[in-house]
Amino acid sequence: MADAPPTQSTVSYKISKYQEDDLSRSETPFGELERYDIDVHQFQLVSPIGRNMSLQVAANYESLSGASPWFTSTGLDGKPIVNLSGASGIRDRRSEITIGSRYYLENGSVGGNMGYSEEDDYRAVYFGLNGERHFNNDLTTLSAGFSYSSDDIFPTDAALFNRVTDEDKQSSSVYFSISQIINQVSSIQTALSVTDQTGFLSDPYKLRDIRPQDKTQIAWSNSYRRFFVSANAALHINYRYYHDDFGISSHTTDMSWHQNIGRSFQIVPILRYYSQSSADFFTNIDNFLTPITEYQSSDYRLSAFGAVSGGLNFIADMGSWKATLTTERYVANEKYSAYNVTQPSTALVKYFRVSLGFDFSF
Amino acid sequence: MRQLRMSFLLLLCVTLLASCTEVRAWERGYLAREEMAWDPDVLESALNDHIFFSKEASSGGNSAAGGGCGCN
Repeated sequence: MADAPPTQSTVSYKISKYQEDDLSRSETPFGELERYDIDVHQFQLVSPIGRNMSLQVAANYESLSGASPWFTSTGLDGKPIVNLSGASGIRDRRSEITIGSRYYLENGSVGGNMGYSEEDDYRAVYFGLNGERHFNNDLTTLSAGFSYSSDDIFPTDAALFNRVTDEDKQSSSVYFSISQIINQVSSIQTALSVTDQTGFLSDPYKLRDIRPQDKTQIAWSNSYRRFFVSANAALHINYRYYHDDFGISSHTTDMSWHQNIGRSFQIVPILRYYSQSSADFFTNIDNFLTPITEYQSSDYRLSAFGAVSGGLNFIADMGSWKATLTTERYVANEKYSAYNVTQPSTALVKYFRVSLGFDFSF
Repeated sequence: MRQLRMSFLLLLCVTLLASCTEVRAWERGYLAREEMAWDPDVLESALNDHIFFSKEASSGGNSAAGGGCGCN
């Protein structure tokens, strides 16, 4: 599984549409129920440069509309209810471009990339460097990388809603991984990444959201691949353990079965399970009486919950052309949590996604 | 319980590494197949990373983080 330079150029394009389910009237007694509707366009070109180099250019365009949670309060029955912002609908766009290159050596490769991402209220400039080296007759591969991102946040309607006007944050990330070929049909990889974020880490669109200005995240990932010759199929199993100093831990596991049908078609069912604990300062009902120096957030993404998703990919490979159709259903619920849930959150997300992708090699 | 889980994972890793066999370059046909890659569809995994990053608190894993976004 040694890295090799591409021998031909490949252009890829994927269009995706996904829609979050509306909230129920019991969760949101007043106002809009409709959540985000998102369209994503992805483009990528990978091309050889000479015999030992490759160039990669990627561009994304994303547009979204809908409403998002603004604050939580107590309903008539004492349970938390959520109030959505943007009764007339939030609209945002995100454009991103990344350029990277890789140089291939006899026993490995080194690469780098830089990118720029812009939204109506957010800007990020980032770069990354990485390398890998093969050992042990190419049975073992060591990889390492570093990335840095500098982000600016400038919320819309800041004066109208008393939001921050201009904030920033910085993220640095390192990773290290080892891949090992086990036998003729299976291999395993383990990786560790550490990310440190400093700066404005709160959500400026929430009525009360005060988070620490520093966060360290650790993720330990493990992957296993096995090819079943008699079934003409490949099994992928991935597991990740995550922890950060907001107090959140999580387990993520996914499994996919890549079934070849003849020489040109493939069908890939995918299952994923995710569960996280809550942040130390998560509350499911905003408390506006506490001092604004006290950490507090009702963001559902900081609550304890579990999520189950399943999808199906259909792939048609016609030599120089390849088409991929993907469907996916994602459901988050506190009942699926592997962790103790003391404060169940409102507004956990469910969505349905459809993607259609094309690759052309020349 | 946590120690038990860690012990099980370590035992699993050691067992898998101990069962490694010498695989010659010409015996790696199945391993070289596209569906055996760590990441067979780069656009699909980039999209998934982005969506899960915007819906869940966890991120990171087997690569360094890219640029941030206003989605989380």
